[in-house]
Amino acid sequence: MGTFLKRHHWITPLALLAPGGLWLLVFYVYPAFQMFLASLWSGSLETGYTLSLDNWVNYPNSLAKYAPFFLRSIVYAAAATTTTFLIAYPLAYTIAFKGGRYKNLLLFLVVAPFFTSFLLRTFSWQVILGDDGPVLGLLKTIHLLPETFRVLATPMAVIAGITYNFLPFMTLPVYVALEKVDFRLVEAARDLYAGPWRPGGAIVGGIVGGVLLGVLGIVFNGSAILFALAGAAVGALIFHFLVSESFIRVTFPLSVSGVFAGGLLTFIPAIGDYINAELLGNPGTNMIGNVIQNKFLTQNDYPIASTLSFILMAGVLVVVTIYARVLGTEELSAAAARA
Amino acid sequence: MTTTDKLAGTPISRRQLLQGSALLGVAAFLAACGTKGTASAAPSTAASTAASPAPSVAAASGATAGASASASAAASATAQPTATPSTTLKWANWTYYMDISADGKTHPTLDAFTTKYGTKIDYEEVIDDNENFFGKIQPALQANQDTGWDIITMTDWMAARLIRLGWVQSFNLANMPNFVANLKDNYKNVGWDPDGTHHAPWQSGMTGIGFDQNVTGAVTSLAALFTADPRWVGKVDMLTEMRDTIGLAMLHLGLDPTNPTRDACDKAVAALNQAKSDGIIRGFKGNAYAKDLRESAAVLTMAWSGDMIQVLTDTAKNKKLDIKFNVADEGGMLWTDNSMIPNGAQHKGTAEMLIDWYYIPENAALVEDYVNYICPCKGADVALKKIDPAVASNPLIFPPDATMAKLKIFGPLNEADEKYFNEQFATVLGVG
Repeated sequence: MGTFLKRHHWITPLALLAPGGLWLLVFYVYPAFQMFLASLWSGSLETGYTLSLDNWVNYPNSLAKYAPFFLRSIVYAAAATTTTFLIAYPLAYTIAFKGGRYKNLLLFLVVAPFFTSFLLRTFSWQVILGDDGPVLGLLKTIHLLPETFRVLATPMAVIAGITYNFLPFMTLPVYVALEKVDFRLVEAARDLYAGPWRPGGAIVGGIVGGVLLGVLGIVFNGSAILFALAGAAVGALIFHFLVSESFIRVTFPLSVSGVFAGGLLTFIPAIGDYINAELLGNPGTNMIGNVIQNKFLTQNDYPIASTLSFILMAGVLVVVTIYARVLGTEELSAAAARA
Repeated sequence: MTTTDKLAGTPISRRQLLQGSALLGVAAFLAACGTKGTASAAPSTAASTAASPAPSVAAASGATAGASASASAAASATAQPTATPSTTLKWANWTYYMDISADGKTHPTLDAFTTKYGTKIDYEEVIDDNENFFGKIQPALQANQDTGWDIITMTDWMAARLIRLGWVQSFNLANMPNFVANLKDNYKNVGWDPDGTHHAPWQSGMTGIGFDQNVTGAVTSLAALFTADPRWVGKVDMLTEMRDTIGLAMLHLGLDPTNPTRDACDKAVAALNQAKSDGIIRGFKGNAYAKDLRESAAVLTMAWSGDMIQVLTDTAKNKKLDIKFNVADEGGMLWTDNSMIPNGAQHKGTAEMLIDWYYIPENAALVEDYVNYICPCKGADVALKKIDPAVASNPLIFPPDATMAKLKIFGPLNEADEKYFNEQFATVLGVG
């Protein structure tokens, strides 16, 4: 046996790949292929479907008709991914460097909500964000908010829901990346006169914060300028006081691989999500997932539903490719190494 | 145990239970796309008689053919069906739709049938979604094979589709003297089953308006749902069920939902979109509107009577809320889940007898005492008064004649129109 394996050394990796490969073949490749065929169908459930290459027009037609939903999905998923990053990074940083003996407990707490189902967690947000719920109810009682103010059934609620639901997918990879950072490198940077990042930090922080909140302002029809100014102020303050040169030049570049992975793990499921939009949104906040669900289950329009699913897959591939180019870990760490 | 207790533990009703479940959706899709369709648009009656080869059924009705004429002539509340009962029978139904013994293990009315006729009934609560179940039985029906079920229970519009496709069998009314005698008149002469021999109503519900009277005052008109009144603007829920929401919008506009035309659909959709852009509507919900109503997230909503019984019970002692349910002056919708016998069923005669069994008022009363939807059987309220007067006098379970007269059943749609209505409604829901 041993000599057999030695002679045919290609068998071992193949055998190890087989279970996963078969699994994917049966439960991913085959259904995906079926769905691709379905996207080229015409007909209906009752009359039966006919396959024809002429039905390729399903693609441009669907893309044109449902473009606003694709766009909204991209915007929401991107906003949620960004927010997840802003929350998860400091969290992961704290656990990795300041967690001490509570590290495992803190990590457990990050994952703990995932012992409950996705649906249930999203339902509970209905309670938290409710018009007279614990948060808004209190703020309304002390007259900080007008009676008619609400968060539920707004885009904000949908993005908040996605952000919450995918937080661990960002936190864990970032934590793993930060955990691996050799703290002696940071000490070395400090020895080489890396101090507080001033005044550069305030400027960068101001720009980042301004752009982020400015975009949010535009998306939600708020005043873009006001949002941008507020964002700039907060960003500048945070960077001025909290971000050091050693972080920007050593720690952060070394953690980019984790951010990259976390971004993918958050963005890809987020863009196809429909539960958050359904439970926390309004009829104006539906994402492409809601359209596909309606097409599949209510209208039984399998061809168009399959077409939309495939366009979504292609779209995600494009976005991810661009993302990988921009934030590709190797290029970036190489650039950091040069700097 | 009463229905109230039973339902209290299930805030999401059977109708909504799995609508949010992606997994089942995928399963339905895979099931549905596993087979290629073969066109079968034959007229319903012709196809169903042609496609009912079941030998046991033929034997059963043949053996008793002589007796059937006399039995149906003598149809009365105590009339006897004429088929020879089979030893087994399979029935697919929705959850919480059959009376249950105190220990929760058996269904007394089904057991009584077994005791009387010796038929062992395999009663399964396997239907949680019309489309989903359709996807399961469609391949067999399309191939003219036995689905495995002798009785299936489907909502009006799905029943209409199955009849349109010629996939359900016509009843032999000689086996169903109580059904003939005791079906309430509202349920007769529906457009999608003109001679009324392909479906037997099992349970119904009303779609009307629910509101918090403390906030909205008394609401008796559907116009309120389309009016930007400061008391409820932004706090109005409507339903994700196309036939309920479009139906009520049609009634509001003075259009006739029993004869739904594309023109009427366009007008209803325009009115709904207007209400949406006026900021009146908070959202389109399944059963979640009931939750909104309890939490004051909605103060005015389209509502189903079955849910509202529960809401009214739960909020009875809450002084802050004064929840009411009305069928508006313009009318309300009546939906029904119907028992039907699919093509290829092995025990047609016995299935007819069992369907008829529940048109004996005493049996219907026992089911009603547990189920709390609207009973299609005449005399069930009288029978129920003896065992549970509170339920028998509940106007949401046994609506007075004046209310029943206002209820409309959404008319039949052919396939092309159904697609059109669904697509238009998708724009209202914000997914099209």
